[in-house]
Amino acid sequence: MPLSPRHLRPCFEGAVPAVIATCARDGTPNVSYISEVHYVDAQHVALSFQFFSKTRQNVLENPRATVVVVHPDTGKQYKLAVSYLRTEDSGPLFECMRAKLAGIASHAGMTGVFELRGSDVYRVESVSEVYGTALEAPPAPEVDVTTLRACMARLSGAIDLASLIDALLEVLEDPIGIVHAMVLMYDPVGERLYTVASRGYAESGVGAELRLGEGLIGTAAQARIPIRISHATSEFGYGRAMREDAESHGVTAGLEERIPFPGLPESQSQIAVPILAGPRLLGVLFAESEATGRFGYDEEDGFMVLASHVGAVASLLEDEAVAVPGEDAQPRGASSAPQGSPLRVRRYVENDSIFVGEDYLIKGVAGAILWRLLRAHLEDGRSEHSNRELRLDPAIRLPDLSENLEARLILLQRRLEERCPELQIEKTGRGRFRFNVRRPVQLAEIPR
Amino acid sequence: MKGKPDRPSPLDADHAAFIQGGVSVIVASRDADFIADVVRGCGCRVSRDRRQVTVLVEPSRAGTLLTDIAANGRVAVVFSQPSTHRTIQLKGSDASIVKVTPSDRAIAVRHLAAWKEELSSIGYTPDFAGALRGPAEHLAAIRFTPSAAYQQTPGPGAGQRLAT
Repeated sequence: MPLSPRHLRPCFEGAVPAVIATCARDGTPNVSYISEVHYVDAQHVALSFQFFSKTRQNVLENPRATVVVVHPDTGKQYKLAVSYLRTEDSGPLFECMRAKLAGIASHAGMTGVFELRGSDVYRVESVSEVYGTALEAPPAPEVDVTTLRACMARLSGAIDLASLIDALLEVLEDPIGIVHAMVLMYDPVGERLYTVASRGYAESGVGAELRLGEGLIGTAAQARIPIRISHATSEFGYGRAMREDAESHGVTAGLEERIPFPGLPESQSQIAVPILAGPRLLGVLFAESEATGRFGYDEEDGFMVLASHVGAVASLLEDEAVAVPGEDAQPRGASSAPQGSPLRVRRYVENDSIFVGEDYLIKGVAGAILWRLLRAHLEDGRSEHSNRELRLDPAIRLPDLSENLEARLILLQRRLEERCPELQIEKTGRGRFRFNVRRPVQLAEIPR
Repeated sequence: MKGKPDRPSPLDADHAAFIQGGVSVIVASRDADFIADVVRGCGCRVSRDRRQVTVLVEPSRAGTLLTDIAANGRVAVVFSQPSTHRTIQLKGSDASIVKVTPSDRAIAVRHLAAWKEELSSIGYTPDFAGALRGPAEHLAAIRFTPSAAYQQTPGPGAGQRLAT
């Protein structure tokens, strides 16, 4: 089997710069370094276009060129005979390369100097090995097909979205061995991503939000592509900037407090992949590591397989939840009477943000749901609820049925678990739950 | 644009020292169809008057490069120091394959040692540095008169002619 770019993917991580030789129309050769060679598919690679250079002028005149890449572990060199096809200056390929280049620039001490102007796409005509002695190859990647199959079987067994997300983080840890990971769900109306589950962090960060397009995660979501970096970079970082932002805001005008984003302070490698159900963005799976170069092309493939399976399973579970015959929950007394001093709960009408005592808890749709549950508890003495009744309630302002109510409930349930043990949501069946109130509550609404 | 013996060298003493140090040496030429070939070199020697540059390559790695140079004399060589990204490119149109001398062999040995030291300063093992450059068991020497020299360190000045 002839060599193809498919076999050279470790060479495309940017650890060792590649070289391109071109020839001008007048026959003058030129040779230059390239910061990033990106694997597009088995027949194509894309090269980073950063500067208006002789190389660029040459390939526009004469598209045939030779690229030499280096295997970062073995030191072996490979020569690619390529033909320039086109330049992309926006879109998925560009975004993916832009993020990776930021990591490469950071690694090379070239932040601010390396800036992607375009992704130059080349057809690979042939690949050959350069004679030389190779060092020993590293062990095979951990995400192999057999491992993936076992992981997917576990994901398929999920009974609802919450258990699906938990199963995803579990299989990442064992058998795959990735201990720092989180799942964010997408809010299409607010164009934000909110954290619903995480593993491996001191603070779970459930409820922490990012804007679409913000940082590595937001970019992966916006472009609906996998993005990863192998070396820490401030350009695509989320951690410090987000934390400083949160610190400087504190409690913003009493309306809401930012929930700090979880994250490793010494994160070096990061990967974010979209969770899609068909064309619809459900969320993002993110993982990180303190090791450099932790996530390569093989890991990216593995993450994409898992994320697409999660997307498909989540979408099936959603359909079932809607299809289940929706008997409205009957009013019933709370399981045990609330005891102790009253809990003061405030709602800011403007954005549905809820404070328990002086502490910010949640906002938005999840805040509206909590408010409704509290009122049902006070006014009707009801504790049994169904997803369906929430879906149909205009007070909750669910934009439409495609809005992921289940994800909002997971968010609310987990925030309550972490921050407010007196108020708890307990699943009682598919599409049903009980709202347990263990202390008397006093509600106050703060108008706009 | 043949290099003329009376034209001053585009290289000053600092450039000459730089390209003879532990830098990567990447040599390119092109064939009759204007397709460029390229090989990683094993060292460089600059003549006393700095008008002639000789780069050493391993023929088994060189693809069609040596035949191309013998046929058309066109050459482009990039010299780069990984730890600083300082990069220079030289071009010539009178390149020819010349006899390898014992001092060329000594240069290749010195280059390998300096190259390993350079790469170890940025975290690569000597074995990796050696695998990348190649053992240089056999050598071929390409001599040319630099007709132009360019600064190629990444940044705003990249692509400009060297100031001497």
